Amino acid sequence: MPELYLFFATLILLSYGVLYSTSKILNYPIIQLNMGWLSIFSLTITLFLYLGNPITTMSAFNDLLIFDSFTSLMKVLIVISSIICCLMSLTYLENKKINSFEYFILILLATIGMLCLVSTNDLLALYMSIELMSLSFYILASYKRNSEFSGEAGLKYFILGAFSSGLLLFGISLIYGFTGLTNFEELAKVLTGINSMTNTVSYSGILAGLLFLSISLLFKLAAAPFHMWSPDVYEGAPTPVTAFFSIVPKMAIFALLLRMFYSTFYDFLGFWQPIFLYTGVLSMIVGSLGALYQKKIKRLMAYSGIANVGYMLIGFSAGTVESMSGLILYLLIYVVMTIAFFSFILGTQTEKDSKLNTYISDLENLGKVNPALGFAVTFVIFSMVGLPPFAGFFGKFYLFLSAIQSELYTAAIIGVLSSVVAAFYYIRIIKLMFFGTSSVYTTYKSMDKANALVLSGSLFFLIFFFAYPHPFLMCIHKASLGLLL
Amino acid sequence: MFDSSILLSLIGLPLFGMIVLFFIPDNNPDLQKNVGLSTSLLTFLLSILLWLKFDMSTPKYQFVEKFFSVPYSNMHVYLGVDGISLFFILLTTFLIPVCLLASWDAIKIYIREYSIAFLFLEAVLICVFTCLDVLFFYIFFEAVLIPMFLIIGIWGSRERKIRAAYQFFVYTLVGSVLMLLAIMYIYYTTGTTDILVLQTVSFDYNTQLILWLAFFASLAVKVPMVPAHIWLPEAHSEAPTAGSVILAGVLLKMGGYGFLRFSIPMFPDASIYFTPLVYTLSVIAVIYTSLTTLRQVDMKRIIAYSSVAHMGFVTIGMFTLNIQGIEGSMLLMLSHGVVSSALFLCIGVIYDRHKTRIIKYYSGLTVKMPLFSIVFLFFILANMGFPGTSSFVSEFLVLVGAFKSNVFVTTLITTGVIWGAGYSIWLYNRVAFGNIRTSHISEFRDLDRREAMVFLPCIILVLLMGVYPEIFLNAMHVSITHLIEQVQ
Repeated sequence: MPELYLFFATLILLSYGVLYSTSKILNYPIIQLNMGWLSIFSLTITLFLYLGNPITTMSAFNDLLIFDSFTSLMKVLIVISSIICCLMSLTYLENKKINSFEYFILILLATIGMLCLVSTNDLLALYMSIELMSLSFYILASYKRNSEFSGEAGLKYFILGAFSSGLLLFGISLIYGFTGLTNFEELAKVLTGINSMTNTVSYSGILAGLLFLSISLLFKLAAAPFHMWSPDVYEGAPTPVTAFFSIVPKMAIFALLLRMFYSTFYDFLGFWQPIFLYTGVLSMIVGSLGALYQKKIKRLMAYSGIANVGYMLIGFSAGTVESMSGLILYLLIYVVMTIAFFSFILGTQTEKDSKLNTYISDLENLGKVNPALGFAVTFVIFSMVGLPPFAGFFGKFYLFLSAIQSELYTAAIIGVLSSVVAAFYYIRIIKLMFFGTSSVYTTYKSMDKANALVLSGSLFFLIFFFAYPHPFLMCIHKASLGLLL
Repeated sequence: MFDSSILLSLIGLPLFGMIVLFFIPDNNPDLQKNVGLSTSLLTFLLSILLWLKFDMSTPKYQFVEKFFSVPYSNMHVYLGVDGISLFFILLTTFLIPVCLLASWDAIKIYIREYSIAFLFLEAVLICVFTCLDVLFFYIFFEAVLIPMFLIIGIWGSRERKIRAAYQFFVYTLVGSVLMLLAIMYIYYTTGTTDILVLQTVSFDYNTQLILWLAFFASLAVKVPMVPAHIWLPEAHSEAPTAGSVILAGVLLKMGGYGFLRFSIPMFPDASIYFTPLVYTLSVIAVIYTSLTTLRQVDMKRIIAYSSVAHMGFVTIGMFTLNIQGIEGSMLLMLSHGVVSSALFLCIGVIYDRHKTRIIKYYSGLTVKMPLFSIVFLFFILANMGFPGTSSFVSEFLVLVGAFKSNVFVTTLITTGVIWGAGYSIWLYNRVAFGNIRTSHISEFRDLDRREAMVFLPCIILVLLMGVYPEIFLNAMHVSITHLIEQVQ
């Protein structure tokens, strides 16, 4: 079990950090970078452990966790994106003099939480792993201790997150109370026999539990109307943390949603489909309209994240194998686009005082000063808009195709129209970079190696996905069959 | 062997030129321009070869290529040419070198990127006109937005260009996402996106109506038909000269091509049902936009509105659904592609010299720029449909076709010819005749050799189409007859 390896590696790193950084003889050394590379190293080994894992299907810890081809795909994606997030944050931490090594330990702990979340096979394991993830997130959000925004973000996230965890626990206890079970597979067996006529009380009790469960998970996803925390948290948290928030957890939570609702609670499709459909439609509308008047880049990304969760929920609520593959593909492409965008944000520091760009208007004339970077970002943004032939188009195409196959026509129409609205604010960034009218020309330091590598790699993926999508589609297809069969 | 690889090399050549351009150093702009121009000229020669090897006696798709498929689905990149698409390819490959040559001196920033954008546009446009798969047609149709948005935004002339680029982008996107939904629905119900198969599928009546409307939303914005035409004058007047040329010359034709290739053969009943709608919108376009030109002060806007009017003729000709009408509208698209492009080039010539397009600053150009005035007069006459030029033949054919199907509509659009003469001659009158205004404009240079070389092929082509249209009509005849048979 690679998670175990990662867990022990984290503990060793933690004790190494505690012992070494408090050593008086060595004059309290700053081991931030050292720690960063060590965590990247241990994550990479975890990745290889996953890739070389000979066991395809098994369950562990008394059926608390389950492993199959679906979990291995999602875990590989999560580990890769965590590695990339660590890489992207190195320069930022160095420049901002955030010197406490716990940053990487927290990222590792959150990653372990998400890895367990993906292979959850029990309501209790679900709660435990989601708390491990969330608690690390609360601390990460308020990591920049001398910034008011960061403290505010952490507090907001904590209060609202704790509230949603309460809902989650309540939902779990309702389901446990009416069935006496917490294991997903056993629940699935019991729930197939249940119907509203014979077991009225327990039926409605399970429905109530399911409602609470889905609300709390939607909360973690920042889907409208449970999205209020996300713009503030995204804005306040340090930028690499924002990148981490918007890249990794979506994959873990959608993997959990797929496992819960596509296998265990699939018989309640008629009940949960409208919940996710309506929140999806609402998120698309709120996300794309809300982003129109944002001035700060991170808030813009928060709203665009909400809109993207909306598209994913539309695909999710379709409830077919195709929609599942479409959803995973969209997640993959969305993650790559977000990685590309954040590596650009984290990689461009002004030459004068090495600050990052905060406001959208700071990007003005960037295309004129750095044409190559400008064109790269332009392509990333065209991909976010969903223009063919970039990868973003194929993500949206498969999602909406699956929505049409399940005859969710209205949702599909609202979806494509809101993606037109989204085009509006994305294009504004290109407009500022190339067609800006002000005479302020900000010069930037040359991008650091890690971010440049990440940006160019993800850009390569976005442009040439068109030419050879086969391996990705094959993997995803295999994974979705692995979950359902 | 050789036959089948023509299309691929036609698409590959501009892409190859793009790659070469990437490696030319910044300090050598002349080489960058030369590489761009010679690549596009080679592509043009290759497309002439396509015309020569084209078999006019069959409505089948020729030079067919099927080489790339999306896994777990039935979609392929499937290329082929028939009589309808052949001339659009030729028009594209003809206009790209003209564009590059026309903006030889006018473009001062990002010269390499400019050539790259045009070569990319060329490759994508050829894909649009050869693609025989609805989904990939959509993909290429949208991909055209990217270079065109950048061309308007980066190399456009004034502050308003940002607004124009936005309008262009958003109008087109709104229309085309509806088409995407229709394509998804088609794929879901029939399991294929191959148009050869789709033309044999008959959708039921109500589905046809909805799908036709979804396609119409996208194609009508591109044509543009009247309520959706607002973006066109904006985009034209803000784009650089070459941008206007390619926009008027080829991009508008994608809409017309879409009608002929998808709407009419795939949804024949809906096309007949909606013919009155198309007629009404086109008649409004012809009369209203012709009158609007009279109030414009910007020369490019006049030509832009006149483009909308001419495209009104085109859509009427298409939906007459008889051989004269459709051939007329095909020929009118080609002729308009050359004539309006040449008019934009004419305006570009005086804009390069005096940096304004407002009519009131110009007067009496005949005195100092005789050569230019002759060329300008030639294209103004061609624009109003003077006998002997290409527009005359094509407008005549459209009117004959329309007369067969609806006399009232024909009467209305015949007035469009008169309006056209009115605004064209009046424009020429104000710019070329009268006293010379040295108070505003002190420097006059007539056409130089490069500019003359830009106009010469256009003049030859217009006269050729006007005097001997047979060579164009013969190639499209069989395909169009086949199209009409499918509808009936």
